[in-house]
Amino acid sequence: MSRPGFVLEVDDRTPPMIVHEGLGFRLESFPLGTRVVYPPESLPAVPDVDAAIDHALRNPEESEPLPALLRAGMRLTIAFDDLSLPLPTMKAPDIRGRIIEAVLTMAAEAGVDDVKLVAANALHRRMTAAELKHIVGERVFRSFYPQGDLYNFDAEDQDNLLHLGTTEHGEDIEIDKRAATSDLLVYVNVNLVAMDGGHKSVGIGLASYKSIKHHHNAKTMVHSRSFMDHKKSAMHHSAWRMGRIIKDTVKVFQIETTLNNDIFPKSLAFLQKREWEWSVRDQASMLAVKRGLAMAPQKARHKLFHDVRSVYGLTGVRAGEVEAVHTKTLEKVHAQHSVEVDGQSDVLVMGVPYVGPYNVNSSMNPILATCMGLGYYFNSYRGQPVVRKGGAVILYHPLDEGFNQLHHPSYVDFYEEVLAESTDPAVVGEKYEQQFAEDPWYRHLYRTSHAYHGVHPFYMWYWAAHAMDHVGDVIWVGGDRKAAARLGFRAATTLQDALEMASSTVGPSPSITYLHNPPHLLADVR
Amino acid sequence: MARSSVVAGADERSVAERLAGQHVLVTGVTGFVGEALLHLMLTEVPGVRTSVVVRPKGSTTGEMRIAKLLEKPVFADVVAAAGGVPELMAARVGVVEGDLADVPPLPTDLDAVVHCAGDVSFDPPVDEGFTSNVVGVRDLLARIDEASAASGTDIHYVHISTAYVAGRRRGSIPEAPVDHEVDLEAELAWGLSQRQSVEHRSRSVDVLERERRKAERAHGRAGLLTAARATEVARRQWVKDELVRIGTERARSLGWTDCYTFTKAMGERIVERWSAAGHRASIVRPSIIESALERPHAGWIEGFKMAEPLILAYGRGELPEFPASADTIVDIVPVDHVVSAIVAVLAHPPAPAEPAFFHVSSGDRNPLTFNVLYTSVRTYFERHPFTATDRGNVRLPEWRFPGARSVERLLSTSEKAWKAADYVVGHAPRSDRARDMARRLHQQGRRLEFLRRYLDLYMEYATAELRFSDRRTLALYESLSDADRSTFAFDTAVVDWEHYFLDVHCPSVTEPVRKLDELRALRRKSAKTGLRKVGDKRDGVAAFFDMDGTLLSSNVIETFLWVRLRELDRLGRLGELGRMATRVPSLVQAERRSRSDFLRGVYRDYAGARLADLDEVADEHLTSHILSRLSPDAVRRIREHRRAGHRTVLITGAIRPLTRPLIPLFDHIEAAELEVDERGICTGHLATSPLVGESRGAWMKSYAAEHGIDMAASFAYADSLSDLPLLEAVGNPVAVRPDVPLYRHARRSHWDVADWASPSGSTRALDPAARR
Repeated sequence: MSRPGFVLEVDDRTPPMIVHEGLGFRLESFPLGTRVVYPPESLPAVPDVDAAIDHALRNPEESEPLPALLRAGMRLTIAFDDLSLPLPTMKAPDIRGRIIEAVLTMAAEAGVDDVKLVAANALHRRMTAAELKHIVGERVFRSFYPQGDLYNFDAEDQDNLLHLGTTEHGEDIEIDKRAATSDLLVYVNVNLVAMDGGHKSVGIGLASYKSIKHHHNAKTMVHSRSFMDHKKSAMHHSAWRMGRIIKDTVKVFQIETTLNNDIFPKSLAFLQKREWEWSVRDQASMLAVKRGLAMAPQKARHKLFHDVRSVYGLTGVRAGEVEAVHTKTLEKVHAQHSVEVDGQSDVLVMGVPYVGPYNVNSSMNPILATCMGLGYYFNSYRGQPVVRKGGAVILYHPLDEGFNQLHHPSYVDFYEEVLAESTDPAVVGEKYEQQFAEDPWYRHLYRTSHAYHGVHPFYMWYWAAHAMDHVGDVIWVGGDRKAAARLGFRAATTLQDALEMASSTVGPSPSITYLHNPPHLLADVR
Repeated sequence: MARSSVVAGADERSVAERLAGQHVLVTGVTGFVGEALLHLMLTEVPGVRTSVVVRPKGSTTGEMRIAKLLEKPVFADVVAAAGGVPELMAARVGVVEGDLADVPPLPTDLDAVVHCAGDVSFDPPVDEGFTSNVVGVRDLLARIDEASAASGTDIHYVHISTAYVAGRRRGSIPEAPVDHEVDLEAELAWGLSQRQSVEHRSRSVDVLERERRKAERAHGRAGLLTAARATEVARRQWVKDELVRIGTERARSLGWTDCYTFTKAMGERIVERWSAAGHRASIVRPSIIESALERPHAGWIEGFKMAEPLILAYGRGELPEFPASADTIVDIVPVDHVVSAIVAVLAHPPAPAEPAFFHVSSGDRNPLTFNVLYTSVRTYFERHPFTATDRGNVRLPEWRFPGARSVERLLSTSEKAWKAADYVVGHAPRSDRARDMARRLHQQGRRLEFLRRYLDLYMEYATAELRFSDRRTLALYESLSDADRSTFAFDTAVVDWEHYFLDVHCPSVTEPVRKLDELRALRRKSAKTGLRKVGDKRDGVAAFFDMDGTLLSSNVIETFLWVRLRELDRLGRLGELGRMATRVPSLVQAERRSRSDFLRGVYRDYAGARLADLDEVADEHLTSHILSRLSPDAVRRIREHRRAGHRTVLITGAIRPLTRPLIPLFDHIEAAELEVDERGICTGHLATSPLVGESRGAWMKSYAAEHGIDMAASFAYADSLSDLPLLEAVGNPVAVRPDVPLYRHARRSHWDVADWASPSGSTRALDPAARR
């Protein structure tokens, strides 16, 4: 049985802690009394993955078994999560590919021949052929891709979108036409964290800007507390309202998978362990990696980290009706991530790692780093935020990776033009969102190249809206000063300096909590 | 009217009384001395009527120029007293339009003529020196004879010369004719004919070939016409330099410092001869004229004279040493002393056929040594440094007066080092560092050029051990009444040099510079954003963009062409890389020589490929390759132009399929077309010549005509000197991450320079599309 997560209080015997900062990490000595939150150790994996998949498909939740839903002559669409999940990328074979193969086998047995595979990338970038191949596996790729039956969803292809109506709140529901008009829509999820899956899968993954804008905005995000807790997330409420209407039109067969926390390969195993439990071998490899990183040029460090493929153990796979499946999924996710934390603190410390959902095979630009820290990590709580209202957040990231012009062209302009004017999510959204969303050049790049949709940087900024609204001070340790200032934050060289700077907000001896993340954790703040 | 003879005499009348009722013609009133003289006569000699000879300038008539002159603040009191500029002119300032090159007939009722006009530059082209300093004097005297003959008056001619007509003589110089035996007529004929002969020589094969070779090396890639233009500019400059060089050499061979003093001495000889025919002539020889001591007000100066550039350069810390010795005398006189002396001379005409010489100088009785000058200027700048720099006060160099030779050595060593550095930087691969070094070199080069020019000019004066005797001038001064002595002060012994430099001269000459510095500092603050705005929404404006190096880091296309396409099986070209490699050197050479040759060489290898395949290959592999290397700033600028309603045009020598990723950004893409046969298979030739160099300029003009585009309001963006025709075709050229030669050109022409960084990570790998 793996050990549960726990909260360590730093005393004089505590060794320095690993803090991730982009393409590297540092060892930080926290002030005495700092609470360090560790996620639970990896849950045991399912011993036979294929058997588990088969079992889930044949014994679904509140649904007929999959074989019973399949018949010759039907239109079957299989949608699946894109490369933003899981993080880091899963070592081949990807769980989605194994499930898709199982579904396709059953479909073949039933004589279904109208099958399309669509990556539910919403406003994310189109994946390259190689990236698609990695997710679905070589065999599926070979059988479907050349004929054009395996493709990326295109949220700007007006001819292939279908408006399904509006919710009682007047929210448009517009999703992929093929999916909406299929006899059966199978959606294959990777539920890495608690926000994934549920009605968010079809309702957002296959939706257009017209639909997504109703919940991806500053107002909704400020009221999603947090978006890792769908019952208290305004964004999820909206997705749920949409999902219930989609359910009336389309038969959705939801498949959700949960993974354990085995994210670092053997060479970086020390990043997975608690510092005082490092063996001599861990110590040695830590030192070697640290030295190597210090000397390596950025390109080499980028390669070292982005080449990491995680082994992940499958902790569960469930299929069937969306909400029934999702409830069970969340139990598993919580079991893996949840840590009880007793009360809020004045200062929250987080290290932003090298990868987030939107820079797979790309670079972590300052906007993505903000989203990762103030969006994903800050929101990794249930109950109430780890930091008190008006407290300070201290983040670690050098903010120096620049922008990937292929993947993030609208980010560059957002950074240079929009953030230069205002960093208030509500203000920038009001003034510029539509202009970026409808810009023909960004649309062209989104549709034909590998660029995120023009509006995407705004979403990154909205993700952080709740945190910006909640905390009084944001300080980046080791961050590029110019970049931090552009983002509306401050930069410090060391933790001590950052605490000194924050003292005007939180006083000279604040309570501090450090989220030892990754591996992923979800702070259950009582 | 009775006239007294020289200086002494029992005549007790004041200067004003002596001149009362006279009509005096003055030349050169638009110059420094002339203006001061006019001012003095208008204010202190009320009985005098003046006429001035002025050259019309373009559409501005002589009258208008004088009216403008009289509107200056120094004339305010006189003008007010007369009731306005027109009234003053009607009463006291007549205008004779004319020029020294073609002296007009003079009014016939003249009593005296003061000739202040002349070429004041020390190194005029030899023919110009003779024209203004010798021919001008001769013709003016002829006109005076005419006027004399008409009225029967004996006109007093006052000739303003320079003390330095003494040339390279040493020691005490008397107030007497310069002793020389130069054949005036021969020199004059020679000097005037030089332009024609130099113009002839400048067209000789040797000169032209040398200049053309140089121009083609620099501009060959832009095109032959651009090189031809540069050759012609160089030839004209050569003519000018040669004329100056010839003049200086001839002057030195005869014992003068330069063409200026030489021709001035020749001018004096003309005056002496004229006087010998029974005329009254006075020759006033001031030394170095600087700002006024008292009148019209302390420190009054117009324009920069001899010492100012050096004083300012010193104040900026840019004059490390000076080729004089500490005890050398520098002979300076305030301008008000000069014009007072002129008026006094005017009032005391000499006897006919006895030309009178007057030195207006300070060196004999009140010597100013370089050391005093240096110490005063240094003290001044220590007390009042230039502050508007962004690096605090400048460090003032300490002069040790090591002697002319070692200063010369220092300078020529610096010049050699600079030349070497300039060559290296000019041939360095383009990079931010090279550009930055080019910027600093450019600045340093300008400083060195300045030093060289001024040291060459002043070396002669700075080392001249001359003492101008001013006994005669002093006697004239002492003959004046006490009242006149205070009104027309020209005893240079009264000048306290330290006071003069600290409180009068330096504050006056540095003032405009300080103002300019402040303005510049303000502008620097406001001009942070760099590029000028694309302007408001309007039609008829286009923005032309070069592709390689401007939108993309350079060679992106080339590497793609070279490597990627050859790897594609469908082109059936695999295995030819080896053959390709053997061609690399010749291709590189072709690239150096001419871009179109280079591109043709590369495209030759497309023979046999299907054009449709090429398009497909481009879409599949090239798009990501290009888009990830596209400069975000460039894209933003293009989109800005589009928002402003401008036409965006891409001009490239690359073939059309390669521009496919950029189609949505441009209204028009002008690219090379591959020739295809009827089956759609490339022949390996181009259907049209690649659009490079000058053909771009020509194409832009025809495009503009076709679409009604105002080229003066349009923009162009390019990165290398070979794109000069493209940039010069529009009113708003922008050099983007330029190579060093273009960078230099852009700075000289005050063009915008944009620093559009390519996205990080887009290095020139030889496997561009391999990693994905």
